[in-house]
Amino acid sequence: MRYKFAEILLKQAKKDNKIILMTGDLGAHLFEPLREELGDRFINAGVAEHNMVTAAAGMAYVGFKPWIYSIAPFVTIKVLEEIRNDICLHNYNVKMVGLGGGYDYAIAGPTHHVLNDVALMMTLPHIKIYTPGFSEDLEGIVHKMSKENFPAYLRLTKAEKLDFSLSSYSGVRRLSKGKKLTVVVLGSIINRVIPAIIKFPKEIVDVWLVSEFPLRIPIELLQSIRKTKTVCVIEEHVQTGGLGHHFNHILRENKISFKHFVHLYAKGYISQRYGSRDFYLKESGLDKESIKKVIESLV
Amino acid sequence: MSVKAKNQLRIDLREKIIKLASKTPTAHPHIGSCMSCIDILIQTLIYEMKPQDKFILSKGHASLALYVVLNYLKKISNKDLDTYFSEGTEFGIHTPSTRPNDIPVATGSLGHGLSFAVGIAKAFKFLKATNSTYAVVSGALRRVYCLMSDGECNEGAVWEAAQFASSHKLSNLTALIDRNRLQAFGKTKDVLGDAASVSKWKAFGFNVIVCDGHNLSQIEGAFSRMKKIKSSKPNMIICNTIRGKGIRAIEGKVESNYTAMVGESYKQALEDIKRL
Repeated sequence: MRYKFAEILLKQAKKDNKIILMTGDLGAHLFEPLREELGDRFINAGVAEHNMVTAAAGMAYVGFKPWIYSIAPFVTIKVLEEIRNDICLHNYNVKMVGLGGGYDYAIAGPTHHVLNDVALMMTLPHIKIYTPGFSEDLEGIVHKMSKENFPAYLRLTKAEKLDFSLSSYSGVRRLSKGKKLTVVVLGSIINRVIPAIIKFPKEIVDVWLVSEFPLRIPIELLQSIRKTKTVCVIEEHVQTGGLGHHFNHILRENKISFKHFVHLYAKGYISQRYGSRDFYLKESGLDKESIKKVIESLV
Repeated sequence: MSVKAKNQLRIDLREKIIKLASKTPTAHPHIGSCMSCIDILIQTLIYEMKPQDKFILSKGHASLALYVVLNYLKKISNKDLDTYFSEGTEFGIHTPSTRPNDIPVATGSLGHGLSFAVGIAKAFKFLKATNSTYAVVSGALRRVYCLMSDGECNEGAVWEAAQFASSHKLSNLTALIDRNRLQAFGKTKDVLGDAASVSKWKAFGFNVIVCDGHNLSQIEGAFSRMKKIKSSKPNMIICNTIRGKGIRAIEGKVESNYTAMVGESYKQALEDIKRL
């Protein structure tokens, strides 16, 4: 997704001389064209994320549109106070872009993963969160973020090419229609959910992808649950404060009754060993096979 | 304004601070810190800054000193200022987010102000590069001023901002330190050492000038010396101060920030400041 992101931001930057890109010393073999286009408005802020966030807020105060970029935990957990006090409290227009949501950084280990970014960022005022599941969605998302005049966090992950025909982008959208089970997926893990259900007979699993917070649930999704009475929420994020919690809350508020609510989520570091993304996903029951088994049991 | 009149202003604004602080029986207004930096604020905001410049009070706990100066400048009305420390007020112990023109960022958590100031300074430079009339007023590039405390320089983010300021040649940034050599629970030298030392700030690429932070002529002199320096470096004025300055019982004492303006302390404080 990062290549797509860089390509789209470059297009935006050509049209808008208020855009500034600040990076926390990351982006080699990625941001060179942006650096050339932006000139001084491309800033390598160094390995100094606290300053990067607050300096970006200062630039937004003057009327610029800074985008700040680093590995996801370094633009969320590490600088949460700067984001809260200096950006969100004032509603300053800073875009935070985190690379590697969930277990994306794989064998780089827990310090480079972020499993609670949605939870943390959603507690802040004025902010919007984007959790794309597909590279194809980035065009619409970056364009939307550029137009919006308030803080936002974009959770980038490594997308994988899926043999799947995509419906057009919206914050919460249906990817396939089914009558037996409603599956609601947070961004990145869609690339394990689709392979898990691809061979299921048609019209069985109703799959929805969530790419934006605060969560706005389309009426069709509520109708789906009324019909199937069974919900499975899948996310590469911890249980607390993630999609499952937000979604369940909305169902309760809307008095939507269901028989089963199954929540598959990231369980952290069970074995304390290092491995690939799939190694961690398997430990949490989020790998393709584990997801497939759960869905089979529910339909 | 004459020297005598300026000195009277130092007394009058101190009186206002003490009276407002007496609205609470608590020590939360940080009277010691306010007395320590009020002279720096007077010289900077009232006499030095142009209307197009920006000021960040990074040591947000001394907000009351900023409020009375903004009140003097008619940026905060008497009516609004009188709500200080009341339920539902806009003006609490730390600076608010609701006055962006005069208070660009709500501070209180230390170590944020200098980064915010470097962001503004850099943005002004961007605008200058595009020949924006917003960035350059009457031929002068808009400036940013940021006041920190010396204890605040314990914060790592201050030094991140310092590196950014010097590497980006933010000559339109003037940082100031209220160097009273005390922090919340001890002397700076006994906690983490003197983070407001000239050598540290010079090593981080700043033009550094030291002055007496209670002598308006000296602060004024520091600003004019700074303006004469032809360099692309950011500027630092280290103001030597005394916490609680003007209130004898607490001058230079750690307790100065834990003293409520009530009863005898209040009466004596109002008497003491007349001798400034």
